[in-house]
Amino acid sequence: MSTTAATEPAGAAAGAAALPRLRSILILGTACLVTGISLIPLYIMITTALKSESDIFAWPPVWAFEPTFQSFYNAFFLFGGQNVLVFLFNSVLITGASTAFAVTLGAMAAYGLARFKFAANKHLAFFILSTRFAPPVAFIVPIYLMFNAVGLIDSQLALIIFYTSMNLSFVIWVLRSFFVEIPVELEEAALVDGYTRWQVFRRVALPLVKPGLAATAILSAVFSWNEFLLASILTQRDAATIPVYLSGFSASMGIAWGEYMAVGFFAVAPIMIFTLVLQRHLVRGLTFGAVR
Amino acid sequence: MPRIEFDRVTKRYTADTTAVDALSLTVEDGLFLCILGPSGCGKSSSLRMLAGLESITEGEIRVDGRRINELEAGTRDFAMVFENYALYPHLDVQGNLAMPLIARRMPRRRIAERVAEVARTLRITEHLRKRPRQLSGGQRQRVGLGRAIIRDTRTFLMDEPLGHLEAYLRVQLRSEIRRLHERLGATTVYITHDQEEAAAVSDRIAVMSDGRLQQLGTLLALIDNPVNRFVAEFIGDLPIVILPAALSSDGLTTVLAVGESRLPLTPEQAHRLNGATGDRRAVDLGIRPRDVALHAEPAPDRIAATVSVTEPQGDATVIIAESPIGRISARVPSHGAPKAGDAVHAAIEIERLHVFDGDGRNLLHREAG
Repeated sequence: MSTTAATEPAGAAAGAAALPRLRSILILGTACLVTGISLIPLYIMITTALKSESDIFAWPPVWAFEPTFQSFYNAFFLFGGQNVLVFLFNSVLITGASTAFAVTLGAMAAYGLARFKFAANKHLAFFILSTRFAPPVAFIVPIYLMFNAVGLIDSQLALIIFYTSMNLSFVIWVLRSFFVEIPVELEEAALVDGYTRWQVFRRVALPLVKPGLAATAILSAVFSWNEFLLASILTQRDAATIPVYLSGFSASMGIAWGEYMAVGFFAVAPIMIFTLVLQRHLVRGLTFGAVR
Repeated sequence: MPRIEFDRVTKRYTADTTAVDALSLTVEDGLFLCILGPSGCGKSSSLRMLAGLESITEGEIRVDGRRINELEAGTRDFAMVFENYALYPHLDVQGNLAMPLIARRMPRRRIAERVAEVARTLRITEHLRKRPRQLSGGQRQRVGLGRAIIRDTRTFLMDEPLGHLEAYLRVQLRSEIRRLHERLGATTVYITHDQEEAAAVSDRIAVMSDGRLQQLGTLLALIDNPVNRFVAEFIGDLPIVILPAALSSDGLTTVLAVGESRLPLTPEQAHRLNGATGDRRAVDLGIRPRDVALHAEPAPDRIAATVSVTEPQGDATVIIAESPIGRISARVPSHGAPKAGDAVHAAIEIERLHVFDGDGRNLLHREAG
């Protein structure tokens, strides 16, 4: 669009200049609208958590209200007997560990699949992908029996293992394509320079797939953080995660909206912060300029 | 400086694709050797086997008499320059230069000194803080060279280092490479498909084709005394003229019949022909355009032809003429050169002609070269 405008004769220049401007206004407007709509639930969640009991149920909704931390206080110190911080800690631990394992192991496996020629390389890669073909519901019973047999029911380790294995195939496939894109010469240069294969992986290959590491880490963490089905079955009390706790909320107490939203805020905040921090690594084209 | 020997080195990728076929080649210590050949001739595979980036199917590569087939690339102590520079894009120039030293656990202070030193040598000091993507092709390859010379290696491997550069940069950088070689005196193996570049940088040229070493020598030796038709056709700035011919001997003189013309060979040439082959009949005559003179008058040892194309090249003009037995080209002084359509008679400098047999071997090749 803008390129055709640039080649038009001088007489049309004034009109042509207005066009890209209008275009960017339109794009910006649309982006703002979409962002606004996406943020409404977040807005409602936060304001509800900060409202007093009567403000929450007021109709028409009150826009200006006196913020109160009563709901947060209730949620954290009065509710249910169990401290919500335990569940938050479980979620952070399980998500952090399973993401770290999935990305670390996945990166190594992906590098191997991308770089080394060995028998059945392609078949192995496909087998890894195939582990995600069946919906997790399909193997809930065997998973439960297996964890039960090794005594891991209601332990954080059970979920760490399960989430790692669920994320691994996805991490491997995404990172494999990132590793394949690295020009082989870069690694050969490092090999000739005196680095071992492991050092080449650490010092050359890994820094170059940083965007892939960030992307897979974000998606793995989001999956682990939000996963409910398996968490609700493999954990009951001690190792329960935030989604499990939140679901129990409505059932036992009716719905205490203020407290529900206060906990909900803490269920959303960590993963949002994690994503925002990693987002700046999601720049592509890092390998550009390495080789012609 | 190390002495490198290829001893019947073979590289097979699959059972029926042989990239390098029993290559035997010695690079004397401190020599700058170019491996020259068309793409797919096995020159890169040979270098990569030497570097340790590719396994050796058969044969042995020795450095100073020691077999290195099983050594890891990093322990062979070679420095390599790549065609596409292969700079680490996540590191700045300084970081790129330091990488080989970091691998050798050199102390930080020493590394900084060496980096500054090498940057000065290659005039890239002002770019030390830049990333590779901010550099031009020529600057990138300077960094590539810097990364090779930074660790006092005694052997350099260069895989078409100037292949991606513009013409004027190629000329500039190749003289820099030559200067570096004269200063450091390292044994160097350099791959290229450009004979002019090969002649400019190297001491010796090894011509490869179809995975085999064809001939080893200086560019002049390769031009004047090619071992076979491939080398004769591949080397030389103008394509060599090849004409069908027949050899006959009446006991006293050996005559090469080219169409209607008869070229009496010198006694020395006759001697070499007999020694090599006995009495062969159908052969091919090869002659360089610079060794063909064009005359207006006919003679028994001249070949009649009609000028079809003239290519002025300044002082000299390349004349392409059609004769009944094939196309002849000649490089003649531009002053008084014939024009298209003119009838000419090509006189061939007998002492400089080559005779190729049916297998392409040069029957007049002198072994000592």
